[in-house]
Amino acid sequence: MNIVVAMKQIPDLQQIRIRNRCPVLDDVPLTLGKIDKNALEAGLKIRENAGNKGRVIVVSAGNRDIEETVKEALAAGADEACIVVDEAASDLESSISAILLAAAIKRIGVADIILFGEGSGDNYSGQVGARVAEILDLPQVGYAGNVETTGRTARITRVLEDREEIVEVELPVVVCILADINEPRIPSVSQILKAGKKHKEIIEIDDLTMETSGRRIETISNLAPETARKREPVNTCGALCAVLEKEGFWAR
Amino acid sequence: MEQEDDSRFDAIVIGGGLAGLSAAYTLAAEGMEVLVLERGDYPGAKNVTGGRIYVSSIRELFPDLWTKAPLERFIAHEEICVMGRDSSLNVRYDGSELLREPHQSYSILRGKFDKWFARQAEHKGATIICKTRVDDIIIENGRVVGVVAAGDRLMANVVIACDGVLSFAAGKAGLNKSADSGHFAIGFKEVIEIDPAVLEDRFNLTEDEGAARLFIGDVTAGKFGGGFLYTNKSSVSLGLVLGIGALVVEEPTVQVPELLNKFKQRSEISRLIRGGKTVEYSAHMIPEGGIKAMGKLYADGILVAGDAAGFSINIGITVRGMEYAMASGYYAARAVINAKEKNDYSAATLAVYEKFLNDSFVMTDFKNFRESLDVLKYPLLYGHYPELIVGIMKDLYEMPAGPKTRIFPTVRKHLGLRELWAMVPLCRRMMKI
Amino acid sequence: MSDLKAKLGLDVFKEDKAFPIAIKKGLERDPRLKKMVLICPAGLYGEDESGKIALSADGCLECGTCLLVCGADILDWQYPRGGAGVQFRFG
Repeated sequence: MNIVVAMKQIPDLQQIRIRNRCPVLDDVPLTLGKIDKNALEAGLKIRENAGNKGRVIVVSAGNRDIEETVKEALAAGADEACIVVDEAASDLESSISAILLAAAIKRIGVADIILFGEGSGDNYSGQVGARVAEILDLPQVGYAGNVETTGRTARITRVLEDREEIVEVELPVVVCILADINEPRIPSVSQILKAGKKHKEIIEIDDLTMETSGRRIETISNLAPETARKREPVNTCGALCAVLEKEGFWAR
Repeated sequence: MEQEDDSRFDAIVIGGGLAGLSAAYTLAAEGMEVLVLERGDYPGAKNVTGGRIYVSSIRELFPDLWTKAPLERFIAHEEICVMGRDSSLNVRYDGSELLREPHQSYSILRGKFDKWFARQAEHKGATIICKTRVDDIIIENGRVVGVVAAGDRLMANVVIACDGVLSFAAGKAGLNKSADSGHFAIGFKEVIEIDPAVLEDRFNLTEDEGAARLFIGDVTAGKFGGGFLYTNKSSVSLGLVLGIGALVVEEPTVQVPELLNKFKQRSEISRLIRGGKTVEYSAHMIPEGGIKAMGKLYADGILVAGDAAGFSINIGITVRGMEYAMASGYYAARAVINAKEKNDYSAATLAVYEKFLNDSFVMTDFKNFRESLDVLKYPLLYGHYPELIVGIMKDLYEMPAGPKTRIFPTVRKHLGLRELWAMVPLCRRMMKI
Repeated sequence: MSDLKAKLGLDVFKEDKAFPIAIKKGLERDPRLKKMVLICPAGLYGEDESGKIALSADGCLECGTCLLVCGADILDWQYPRGGAGVQFRFG
């Protein structure tokens, strides 16, 4: 069984600072998205539950740094990686990311389960998994909190706002998982050392013959929300209560 | 359950700071298998400097490194500011030699520099693993043979402990340095972002020029230490270094972090950083005891370099550490290369490390400045004399409503016989550095 | 002190579930700890009315001063695990 996990290289969100309400991205380290690590962990668990039969293959598209960043996933237990290198890839819109990832998955050949995070840690468009399913003409299940496989069937728990839905689907399938559904394993030093030797298939963007329609969505602005602080000084609990009441945060 | 990794390294370096990266860079360049373990998210993540590196002494040890290094600005203007409670005297030094290449010193931000230096070491072939804390060293039959990190046992012919001022690794190998609080200082600073054009205008700098300023006196509330300001590309590093010994034993006590706020509010400083935005606050302990505070540098299978070995010293005009860290990392690497040729990693063979250091500027400086810390720990230097100096200046410049006193009696009023007599012991001390 | 909190808020801290710096039980009144109330550059040591010193390791800059001043007999002191704790961007 081939378990494919799509992972996105994103800036370390905790390292981004805000200058004049704009994110400062210079020198911010790149990492794999947290939710994508949850997807990888889910993939590794599926393989373990299948008696460690099958391979976990990471697919990604990113700038040249992705060759280095993807080692995180290889160290954590993925068997190999198939990545599309495109200098513009960090700034792609979802439709194009989906085309690149679908191309990488086709390159792998057989993909029984394709796991995505429900949305990427930086943009959270939440489109790429569904779009890849469409391109590959596969069923897609979203909001997955748990994925189990038996033979050629996957049983997926969808965690919805007010209920849980369990669905069954024949493989192959695209599954988009929710954040924090598991605790991603932290690789040991020796696993990190071995990760460098694992197979990485690198696809240069120029080698792909595909049609993309270019950029259709333009980001007009990307500003941190303004926090308007009232800065009302209070000296006593009573005064604090009065202010909170006035602002409608608290009613007597 | 600890797992033993099957690979064996020529050297495992604990800590990706300047000493560790210098060792790794040098070893990898000679084709040695070297692994650096760094606990931060990236090399530099745990490292703090006041802000200036003197490249002059280490240029030749890393000949290819400096042309592309992400240093901030070359220091073209030196200034010392003697601070009284509400006045100050500045002495500025400009010299054409400071403007000529190769430049003597640069302002530096370690987050940027160390990350870059690590990449250079990787290009040479070093393996650098971050986010990994070394929990223990492995000692077998009295010799260090590896480290334990995140549950893995990793084996090496030599371990180079470059794990900073607290160096748990050196301690575990019995290579303790001094733990006397008088041998350490606390440095803390803010990095304050300022538009480069504004910065250059305020400090009277051309594009790549930088300024270095030192402050002595009221800035430390009379405690042993001083303030510093370095201009970076688009920020200034502004901070204080305080001897810990004096903070622990002397009264009156001072609220240490508050000193930096007071420093920023001084009119001399506030106009320099006006409109600037603080983007980081950092602190670090600095070994400044020099040769008297150092421990043993090697044992069977282990070498100690950088702050871990105490390679940092207060020489009065500055606390120097980074050059010694890089040089000691370099010489540690040379000692490992030498040991590999002999296939002998015993203390007797690794002792060549100390010989290399003795023959270099490192130990020469440490011997020359053996007494500097004791000399500088003279409380009058940080309270009384700064006030005295600015007091003289105040009276010299003052034009009273009535008649003005002649210059000699004005100075004499401050420098009476008793005052001059009291300076004799200070002069005697000063002759030692 | 609120100013200090704001300054620390500018730094990047990565969480460690068990931050490994703590005052050993029963030693909260040691005079060496009292020094740290004034010295700790992050202002993490505080004294309550009864003279007990409390440490909140959140915002620790890992400078090491408290370990030097107080010693390992008063403080349990370790660096946070790899990838945790303060991560200086500028340094």
